[in-house]
Amino acid sequence: MTDMPDLRVAGVQAPRKDAREKVTGAARYTVDVDLPGMLHAKLLRSPVAHARLTRIDARAARDLPGVHAVLTRDDLGGLQPTYGYFIKDQPIVAMDKLRYVGDPIAAVAAQDEVTAVRALELITFEYEELDPVPDVASALRVGAVELFEDAPMGIVPAYGRGASAELRPRPNVCYRFAYETGEDDAFDHCDHVFEDDFVFGRQQHFHLEPFVTVAREENGQIEIWTSSQNPFPLRKELSRVFQHPENRIRVHVPYVGAGYGAKNNCKTEPIAILLARLSGRPVRFCMTNEENFLTQTQHAAKIRIKTGVMADGTFVARAGEILLDSGAYADASPLVAEKAGYRLHSLYKWRHVKTVCDCVMTNTSPAGPFRGFGGTQASWASESQIDMIARRLNIDPYDLRLKNLLALGDPYVPGESGMDSDIGEGLRLVADRIGYHGRIRTPGRGMGLSIGFKDSGGVNKPASARIKISTTGAIYLQCGSIEIGQGITTALSAITAEILNAPAERVHYPDVDTDHTPFDQGTNASSGIVVMGQAVARAANEVKARVLEFAAGQLDCDVSELTLDDWNIRRGNESHPLNLMIMRTYGGTGFEFTGEGYHKAEMDHEAPLETRCVAWEYGWGAAEVEVDEQTGLIKVLQLVVSGDAGRAINPAVCRGQDEGSAVMGLGGALFETMLYDGVTLANGNALTYRVPLATDLPENFVSILQEQGHGPGPFGSKGVGEGCMLPVASAIANAVEDAIGVRVTEMPLTPERVLAAIDARNST
Amino acid sequence: MTEQIELFVNDEEHFITVDTSEMLVDVLRDRLGLKGAKIGCDRGVCGACTVLVNGDPTASCSTFAWRVDGARIVTIEGLAGEEGALDPVQQAFFEAGALQCGYCTPGMILLAKSLLARNPHPDRAEITDWMGANICRCTGYKMIIDAVEIAAATGEGQ
Ligand code: FES
Ligand code: FES
Repeated sequence: MTDMPDLRVAGVQAPRKDAREKVTGAARYTVDVDLPGMLHAKLLRSPVAHARLTRIDARAARDLPGVHAVLTRDDLGGLQPTYGYFIKDQPIVAMDKLRYVGDPIAAVAAQDEVTAVRALELITFEYEELDPVPDVASALRVGAVELFEDAPMGIVPAYGRGASAELRPRPNVCYRFAYETGEDDAFDHCDHVFEDDFVFGRQQHFHLEPFVTVAREENGQIEIWTSSQNPFPLRKELSRVFQHPENRIRVHVPYVGAGYGAKNNCKTEPIAILLARLSGRPVRFCMTNEENFLTQTQHAAKIRIKTGVMADGTFVARAGEILLDSGAYADASPLVAEKAGYRLHSLYKWRHVKTVCDCVMTNTSPAGPFRGFGGTQASWASESQIDMIARRLNIDPYDLRLKNLLALGDPYVPGESGMDSDIGEGLRLVADRIGYHGRIRTPGRGMGLSIGFKDSGGVNKPASARIKISTTGAIYLQCGSIEIGQGITTALSAITAEILNAPAERVHYPDVDTDHTPFDQGTNASSGIVVMGQAVARAANEVKARVLEFAAGQLDCDVSELTLDDWNIRRGNESHPLNLMIMRTYGGTGFEFTGEGYHKAEMDHEAPLETRCVAWEYGWGAAEVEVDEQTGLIKVLQLVVSGDAGRAINPAVCRGQDEGSAVMGLGGALFETMLYDGVTLANGNALTYRVPLATDLPENFVSILQEQGHGPGPFGSKGVGEGCMLPVASAIANAVEDAIGVRVTEMPLTPERVLAAIDARNST
Repeated sequence: MTEQIELFVNDEEHFITVDTSEMLVDVLRDRLGLKGAKIGCDRGVCGACTVLVNGDPTASCSTFAWRVDGARIVTIEGLAGEEGALDPVQQAFFEAGALQCGYCTPGMILLAKSLLARNPHPDRAEITDWMGANICRCTGYKMIIDAVEIAAATGEGQ
């Protein structure tokens, strides 16, 4: 551990900034926004998975009393009807085709939701059904019907060394990412080459606050309140779709009732805005929990990994193919493919790596960003296979990992930044805590380890912050990081207070409003601390320098003689209240000091993804399970996870992130998955889609917060919040094999799958 | 069809004419402006809309308003005391940092209140069992269970 600076505000246990509002019910979310004259919107969704929409007639709906606007493809008035990230393929409402059960066909704004629902029933439409494409296998079958007959508008961003991508490399594949380094013939020199297949399920984010937007358009200004993680990119996309100047679109983001990745980019916003425009009234469009399932999901995946090793366990080469189920629209699939592909070979030393990741279109709900962002799929396959190899070589999986792990400072791949945690140290911690070494073997019980990781901080991601201090010392921290539950307002306020030598309570974090808040690319990729944190620290240092310069001028001395002590200037044993000094200069009306801060990782064409990874986010996991061979039921007795916050700005907040992500991972490992019966989602509601409850926690569930001190963020910090999701499923699968000698390669690890694996073992 | 009902919400008496299809959560949020109860699943599963009806934790999204005619209802807004002094359960959630996005928090706090009213000294297993009624997608529950333990230790419910 490196020497850490003494901190006063940051790094100590303090209540969250939003805690009081949230425990009293005073916290306001988009669902709570209520404008005078506000209408309510409802959506008509496709009953079929794949069809050509031939006719739509909404006249009867328009005539229903209480209905103020109806939106179909005939009401778009020359707008750009599609949106997306790299590929703009998702229509606001169906244009020519219906591509999944739930695809929006029409929307209504009415005086209340009941009237809106009634109006939807009056809309008639006709369609010609096409062959449905329920899954990856059928999408890739020769001669399969294509979801998109013509290539949608799309781009491939610039990539650096070893990375490349392609649009539509084959039918029903919207994007292919590939990464390669080292010599292809490395496999020829291995003692063993192992090839294994894995299947990854599909979780739903299940954020409790649904997708929701309140929109109005007045005097040429579009104004929305929305539950969004990335208001600035959203504003840009809305500007393109609506052909409306960005500075006439104003996005407000109240507290967000969580997102876990789902609340990036357009969701409820375009429809709410269009209905507001058509009706001339404010419109609230709030989806139901069921509609969340029809709007955004994680990527199911099929993964094949080939790994070449020496007899002594030395890793040599790794190649992989990932097929991501993207659902009906590209959404963030290309970005997820980048990360899944780039992370598949994991944190070991290889002479050769080669990965291809395809985004496959199917007639199912669109898949998009989900906590872990491709890393969850990659870790599942990669860390499962490490244990399988260890067993085949008769080496303990712990030792096999340690033997091959990258060391602190080793670049991940050529051109990439170095490891910023001692990975072996994390593994030792969780293994020791669970009692891995020297354990006494009990029939039916086993232990497993895993190391998940992701690059955090985003790719080429800029952030800016502004800090203002008023005459009386009131601090405004203006930046675009959204409080989505992760505690970012608490952490950034603590960093500000630390640098300004002020109590944290003096820092106010105004709601994000794109008209006033400095630009940020989005609250995602665990970037809050390592990217925005650095921008905030710069802004704080700048405003502090301004204050000290001002004071030096007033006291006619050198800046170096002065320190800022709360809202006083200290010079030797003199203390000068700043409010008085300011008013002496600027008069009784006062003044405001302002500091600006900006941060972005530098472009670097040698780095595969064009910037070196800002920080590496690791999640170490260890599990002990008991498996009932009669029922196939897995009982997780112990789950130990650990993340490295570098330096924890608020330890309790970090702990909450680690535990929350681990439990989300636990759900995905054991039971959570969207079940499709062909193209029909069979469990798309809260009753039938099972998320973990308090009663699902393992008897011994522990998170260990490491502070190794190597983070690039303020005071050595780095991001947490996704890492501990990553190792859980593979740690459990590894523990199952340790317990009963069978390998489950498909998530979630349901009793049926465990039993099937037992049957397979018994029949060989 | 409408009906006139009487509700005692956070010790205040209200006479309200409700449609028979109207849910308690909508009356609280839209008529009385008490936005603390949240709608998550709208199906009686997640508990984000939990309020206390005559002391019982109740999913207000799945409760017709007319059904609770004459009832005493406590919402999250009714817990804090004079000058915003936090109720012991709120205080415990505040101190333990037992919240993230906060969307489940009002429901979780009211659920915990109802436990401690019945059983002032629950052990950890009893707490876990009881709190298993509501969903929190953010925290992983452990800090919520810790908070209820703290509240129990500080004598809530006695
Ligand atoms: S909103 Fe009422 S239980 Fe989920
Ligand atoms: S804090 Fe977000 S759901 Fe509980």
